[in-house]
This record gives sequence, C-alpha cells and structure tokens, in this order.
Amino acid sequence: MYEFAPQITPIIDHIIDSVRSFRPELAISIAFIGTIFCSLFIDKYWKQSSFSSFLIGIVAAGYLTYTQNVENLPVFFDMLRVDSFSQYARIIILFGVAIIGLYIQQYGSYQLPKKRLGDIYAILLATTLGLHLLTLTTHWIMAFIAVEMVSIGSYVLVAYFAQNKKESEAAMKYVLFGSTCAAFMLYGLSLLYGFTGSLDFTSIAQMKGMIAAPTILSTLALLFVFVGIGFKLGFVPFHVWTPDVYEGAPTPITAFLATVPKVGAIVLFSRLILAWTASPFYFGEVTLHFLCFVAIVTMLIGNLVALRQQNIKRLMAYSSVGHTGFLLLAVLSYVHHEPEVLFFYLSTYILMNLAVFGFIMILEKQTGSANLPDYSGQGKRFPILFTALTFAGISLVGLPPTSGFVAKLLVFTSIFDLYQTVDQSLYLYLLIVGVLTSVISLFYYLKIPMYGFLRQTTPSKPADGVATNSHIVYGFALFFTLLLLLFGLFPDLLLDFFRQP
Amino acid sequence: MGFLSVLIFLPLLAALVMLLLPKSAAASAKYLALAATIAQLLLSGYLYIHFDTVQAGVNNIDSFQYVEQLSWIRLQIGSDKLLEIDYLLGLDGLSLPLIVLSAVVMLMAVGSSWNITKSVKGYFALLMLLNTAVMGVFCALDFFLFYVFYEVMLLPLYFLIGIWGGVRREYAAVKFFIYTLLGSVFMLLVIVGLYFSVTNPATGANTFNMLHMMNPANYGEESFFGWVRNFHEIFGIPARLLGFAILFIAFAIKVPIVPLHTWLPDAHVEAPTPISIILAGILLKVGGYGILRICIGIFPDMAALSNWWLGLIGVISILYGGFNALAQKDLKRLIAYSSVSHMGFVLLGIATLTTEGISGAMFQMISHGFLSAALFFLVGVIYDRVHDRDIYNFRGLASHMPRYTVFVAIAFFASLGLPGFSAFIGEAFVIIGAFNSESVGTGLPRWMAVGGSIGILLSAVYFLWTLQRMFFGQTRFKGGEAWATALTDLTLREQIILYPALALAIILGIMPSLVFTPLNESVMRIVSVVSSFL
Repeated sequence: MYEFAPQITPIIDHIIDSVRSFRPELAISIAFIGTIFCSLFIDKYWKQSSFSSFLIGIVAAGYLTYTQNVENLPVFFDMLRVDSFSQYARIIILFGVAIIGLYIQQYGSYQLPKKRLGDIYAILLATTLGLHLLTLTTHWIMAFIAVEMVSIGSYVLVAYFAQNKKESEAAMKYVLFGSTCAAFMLYGLSLLYGFTGSLDFTSIAQMKGMIAAPTILSTLALLFVFVGIGFKLGFVPFHVWTPDVYEGAPTPITAFLATVPKVGAIVLFSRLILAWTASPFYFGEVTLHFLCFVAIVTMLIGNLVALRQQNIKRLMAYSSVGHTGFLLLAVLSYVHHEPEVLFFYLSTYILMNLAVFGFIMILEKQTGSANLPDYSGQGKRFPILFTALTFAGISLVGLPPTSGFVAKLLVFTSIFDLYQTVDQSLYLYLLIVGVLTSVISLFYYLKIPMYGFLRQTTPSKPADGVATNSHIVYGFALFFTLLLLLFGLFPDLLLDFFRQP
Repeated sequence: MGFLSVLIFLPLLAALVMLLLPKSAAASAKYLALAATIAQLLLSGYLYIHFDTVQAGVNNIDSFQYVEQLSWIRLQIGSDKLLEIDYLLGLDGLSLPLIVLSAVVMLMAVGSSWNITKSVKGYFALLMLLNTAVMGVFCALDFFLFYVFYEVMLLPLYFLIGIWGGVRREYAAVKFFIYTLLGSVFMLLVIVGLYFSVTNPATGANTFNMLHMMNPANYGEESFFGWVRNFHEIFGIPARLLGFAILFIAFAIKVPIVPLHTWLPDAHVEAPTPISIILAGILLKVGGYGILRICIGIFPDMAALSNWWLGLIGVISILYGGFNALAQKDLKRLIAYSSVSHMGFVLLGIATLTTEGISGAMFQMISHGFLSAALFFLVGVIYDRVHDRDIYNFRGLASHMPRYTVFVAIAFFASLGLPGFSAFIGEAFVIIGAFNSESVGTGLPRWMAVGGSIGILLSAVYFLWTLQRMFFGQTRFKGGEAWATALTDLTLREQIILYPALALAIILGIMPSLVFTPLNESVMRIVSVVSSFL
C-alpha cells in the first residue's frame, strides 16, 4: 500500500490533466444528464426543453472538439488518443447527430400516437459518447465498451417508436444479431489478450505477442474481432441485419444507423489497419487481404442485391452496404497517409444519406409509404423534391458534378497510387470492382426518378398539401443537396478543412 | 468571361430562368430556349468568321483560339503530389466545325420541339442543360472538365428519352445510360492513370491538362502510361495499349461501332423527334471527336499500332449497319441503322491516319450531323400526324404530300452520297484516304476502301428502295381515309427547320472548303504527330 503512495500525486495529476482533453465528451455527458432532467421535470412546462438541452450539448461538444488541443497527448494512461484524426471524425459525428436529432424532433411532432421524445435525445447523446470513444481509442477494452455503448443505444433507438410487429421484429433481430457479434468480438479479444498480454493494438507488446502466437489461432482471433467491427460497419457477411432493421426502424433512426456509427467504426478500423499493415508480419497481410476481399464482396453483394429492392429504405440499406465496401477502399487511402480522402468520402457519404433520408421522411409522410411503386408519378406533385432526390442519387452513384464523384475519384486516385507503388494486382481488382459496381448502382438509384417522373400516377389519395413542420427537414435536405453540388464543383472547400494540421 | 464560356453557359442560364418561371408563363419557356439557341448560333457564327485558319491547335495551347484558362481545383494528394485541374477552354480546327454544327442542330431541335405539350418547362430546361454539356464537351481542353461535361450529358438525355419517349422509353433510356456509363467509368480509371503519369512542366504538378498529356516529354519516366521505359502491364497487355483501348471503347460506344451499337436503334426509336435529332446530329459526333482528340491525341503511338483494327471495325460498321438498314420495316429504325453505317465512315477515315481520311471523317461528321437531323425530323413529320412509321403502311405519299416528298428525296439523295451533296465529299475523302493508306504506309489494306464503297452502294439501295416503297405508286394508307386527312403537307415551321439543313448539304457539297479550310491545319498536325510512330 505504502509503496504506491509516492505515485499517487503524479497519477492524480495525470488524470486531472487528462480531463482537460476530455472536455467534449464531458460536455456530452453533462448534456446527457441535463436532457434526462429536462425530460423528467421541465418538458411538462416547455415541450422543447429536452431537445434544446440536447442541441446545446452537441453544439458545445462541437465547439470544444473544434478548439481542442490535439497534440497527441497521453490521455487516461494511453486509453485515449486525442489526435487530429479523431478530431475531424468527431466533428463529422456531431454534425450528423445534430441533424438526426432535428429529424427526430420533426418526426416526433407528427408521429401518432404521440410519444415522449425526451428520452430518445438522452439515448442519442449516450450513443454519441460511445462514438466519440470509438474514434479516440486504440485500446481493445475501450473499443469494446464504445462498440457496446453504440450498439445498446442503437437497439433502444430502433425499438423506441415500435408500434407494429414489423418494427418490433426489426429491433429484436438487431439485438440478437448485435449481441452475438459482440460475443464473438469479446472472445476474439480474450484470445488476443491471452496471446499477447497487451490490449493496445498499436503497442509493441501486442505485435510481439502476435508474431509469437500460433498463426492459425491468432488469425482466428483476428477474424473474431473483425466480426464485431463488421457488425457496426455492416460489411458482408455481417450485413444481414441491415435491410430488415433499416426498413423497420423509423426513418430518422434509419438515417442515424446508416451514417454516424459507420464513422466511428471506420475510424477504429482505420487505426487498426494502419497499425497492423505497417508491420511486415503475417497478420498485417491477413488484415490487408481480409480488407480487400471484404471490400470486393461487400461492394458486389450490396449493389447487386439492391437491384431487386422495391422499398426505398431497403434499397438505401443495400446502398449503404455497397458504400461500406467503398469506405473500406477509402480506409486503404488512409493507410496511404491521405486521411483527407477518407474524411471527404465520409462527409460526402453522410451528406448524401442525410439528404436522401430527409426526402424519404417527407415522402413517407406525404404518401404514407416507402415503396417505390407508390411514388409513381409523384414527381409531378413534388418536382423540386424529386429533382433534388435524383441529384442526391446521382451523387451516390458517383457521377459529376456532385461531390460523390469527387469522393470516388479521390479514392480511385489513392488506390491507383498504391497499385503503382506496390504493384499488387489486388488493388487493380479493387479498382475494377469499384468502377463496375458504380455502374450497377446506377440501375437502382435511377429507380427513384424512374418511378417519380417516368411512370404515370397511380390513382391515390388526394394531395393534402405540404404539411406543417416538415419544411424544416425539407429545407435541410435541400441544403445538403446544394452542398453536394458545391463540394462537387469546389472540393477544395472541404478538403482544405480536413487538411489543416 | 470569354466567348466560349458565354457559349457554354448561356443555355444553362436560360434553363435556370425557365425553372423560375411561374406556371402561367410556362409556355414562354420555348421562346427562351429559341432565343438562347439563336444567340448561340450567332455567337458560333462569329467564332467561325473570326477563326484564324493558319493556327493548328491540337497539341499546342498557343495555337488554340479563344482560350480561357482559370485555375479551378488544386488538391494536395498525399505528401508530394499536387493535383491540378484547370477550367481550360479553347477551339481549334477539330472543335470549331462541331461547335457550329451543334448550334445549328440545337436550333433545329428546339424548332422541332415546338409542339411539345407535356411539362414544357422541364422539357426545355433539360434540353438547355444538354446543350450546355454538349458545348462544354467540344470546348474543354482539360480532361477533368471534359469528363464532367461528358457525364452531365447523360442525365438530361435519360429524362428526355424516359419521359417524353415512346412506348418502351424506360428500357431505351436505361439501356442508353448504362451503355455510355459503362464506357465512361473505365475511362475514369484511365484518366486517373494519365494524371499520375503526366506533370505540368511549368509547375511540376500532376495535371489533367489534355495538351500536356499529348506531349511525351511530360510523362514521368517509368510512370504508368509513360513512354520511356514503360514496363507496366495489366493482364499481360502493355499499359499504354490498354489505356488506348479503354478510351477507344468508351468513345466507340457513343459513335457507335458495331458490336456496341445496340443501344442506338432503341434509343432512337423511343426518343421523341427532337431528341433523335440531337442524338444523331450531335451526340454521335462526341464519340468521333473523342477518338480524334483524345485517343489519337494522347496515344498516337497506339493509334499507329492499332489502326488496322480500327479500320476493320469501321468497315464492319459500314456494312453491318447498311445490311441491317435494308431489313428494317420501321422508318426510324432504318435511319438509325443508316447512322451506324455512316458513322462507320468516320471511324474508317480516322483509321487511315492520312490527311485525306481524317479530313473526310471530320467532314462526314459535319455532313451526317445535319443530314441525319433532317432525316429524323422528316420521320417525325409523318409520325406526328398518324403515329405510325412502318414503311409498309404508307404508299404513294408522293402525290399526297408532294412538298414533303421533295424534301425527303433531297435528304435521301444527299445521304446516299450523290455527288454535289456534302455526304459525297465526306465519304469520297474517306475512301480516297483508305486507298492511299497502303501507298503512304499507314497500313490499311485496299479492300477496306472497297468495303466502304460497297457501303455507299448499300445506302443507295436502302434509301432508294424506301423511296420507292413509301412514296411512289398508288396512294394507299393502312389507316385509310383518316390517315389521308391527317397526312397534311409540310407546314411553314417545318419547312423553315428543314431549309437550312438541306441548304447546308448542298452548299457544303459544292464548297467543301468552308469546312476544310479551318480544319486543314489541325488535321495535318495530327497526321504529322501520328506519322512519326508509323
């Protein structure tokens, strides 16, 4: 006991120092408590109090993140890593969460029967905290806790509005699938710890341990770990939950699932890939091959299955699977020391999805359906909406003059550079599949304008005019579409932001 | 803002104004479109008159005219690479005639869209967007800019075919879109490869500038598409050859060449008349222009290596298109296949790599541009009246619609290459080039020239046979009396649209120098570049 005494002061000093680097997350935590408080006591008098508390928390966290000192200090005994990479990722996450909070607020205002929304903001904040940790850590325990925080938050979000069997089923599937994947990941982690005695995947101890460990077993352990990350990212074959959950969940929640968790998971994955592929040993090669193989399969399956979808939310689910494959390519460009390419792709991806899901929310509200055939001839009724939705679709395909095109071009450029320097035909296949799946994706994104403009109107319920409240969502979605055009024409604007040291 | 920017963005401006029009004023969209296209025609006429024909252009920025250069995108990629994208426009002898042609055909298309009633605003806005993209493609000298315009062409066309088209319009629109996109996404990979290989000698940055890509000295040693010490192979094919092949296929889909032509009959048949006019009149030329400017400009060594195959594909397209046209019962399909056949001459001419051949190919593009526009317009005339265009459902139109018959006869005779009309000049020069090829040493065998001549013969057969089947003999229609009353002769508007196209066919047939003079220097430059690799 006594021999620890002299160390207590430096330990406490370190913790207090660390707290300074933890301010954005503290802001989120305070907002979390504040939101619960508001939903319990103040919502009765002022309905928007919990939402305001949520928004203030996010904005404060955003400000603190933006102004954060990112000198890669040791934080909490190296459990966290505060660097510019995580800073940008967290800004993207906070942006996405703020918009989704807004979507939820709008959704709740017309959703029947009315349900208290205070709790959902609190859960969203808790999930955001998990996402933040995910971007900050290279420590397996921290990563696991973060993944679980995000997962449990997501389960609740999916189930929160559940009214019918389909929605409950989606939530149930999500929970079961998620817990199984988490169990696999934990098992893999325990194996890794057993082999190496270290839980930091960038540490030398873990590298050494991995080299010493039996190849087959440690490869197996790696694959188990990838199961957990794969679940969050939704790459093949861990994508099977996406279509059902995306379809069953309320649209703003689907927008959430499709966007921000991927940012957190991809950042963790990038750190892992960077740490391991740098080493010349077998597990670096295993990881790299796994990444390339999964990227190819994910792009192919996501895009091919999307062809058969008639429900726009299912379609977007498979589209997000396909884009995950592309994100894995972008991870390679991060390994190639071009983090801005990865961030450009991520932020474009988030803008596209937020725009598309915003439009879907309005369409769902106006037509009461998410099935594409029900949108037949609706282009006449909502010309601007469908034009913007088509434009966002074009951006998802990756055609100029949208920022989706620039994002894909940058990723191709990066991979091509890799191919030139390393000269592995693996990268060539990645390029070819990436290009081919872009063409395939055109088929199904074109379904939106095809039904909207090309097909004739089916006799449907008379138009009830653009209802109140949805115009905020509409305005934001249109704004994001404009941003897609702007960043498509002038990508420097966004890239320069991510390039600041 | 230079002339070219005005030329490109004027229709876009018109489109934006149209979208802002209130519903009650929607009908005035067509007047806006008309004003924009007339202004474009005047502007392109001004550019034509003030064009200095001594300047060659092609691979030297100093001899391009009306050049506009703005720094657009500068990206730091990785640690040591700077990506340089410019807003770079310019005209030379290759692009100027096509700019004028596009302005003429666009005006014809707007004129023939006069009776559109379905969502007028949207229709003309899309047409103007397409117009912007087309002009941009012909003016752009930066590959990135070119690609942006090239892809922007697709979406308006998809909607124009898909919304205003015929019965199977969805199928045709998607097929067209997918075909072109398939070619162009692989082109994107080649663009990326080129950009990595080429540096701007002035700044040292990697550049998308096409003119820098045409200079072997700008390629890094051992770079992917480099000239010196290039050991890069993909699937056992040398990198430069593969790059050339991919670019060629991308543009060949547009031309279209025979195995990749199947989108064209569908797109033409389902498209409304004005869009058929634009498709045949302008968009097919984008393919020919791309092959000349980009494939041959950037990969002259590979062009010299593979021109025998290009010639072969050209001859096959000529003959296959011709035979298919013979077998068609649908008049529009017949003309679509005749387009395949006539565009085959363009490819054959380019493949000769001789001054005569390439000049002939360019001339053929111009001539086919407004002749096919006129032909599709003429088909549209009877289709508008009775909604049928099956050749066997009409007979003896000559006595029923004499004026129409005169126009059709002129257009048919002009298209089949009768001396005195423009198509004759184009096809004759292509065949002369193909004949000379063997003696000049560019390697096309003489039988290809013979194949081309047989193509001319075939075109005479199908055009004259059609004339005989539809216009001569006893007047008899499938629809009987109803059709006879519906089939009124040409209106004044229709004649006004047709006059310039047919007049141009005759004028250019008599005075081909109008096209050849601005063209000549540029073609000679291309030939001299390529001939050093033969």
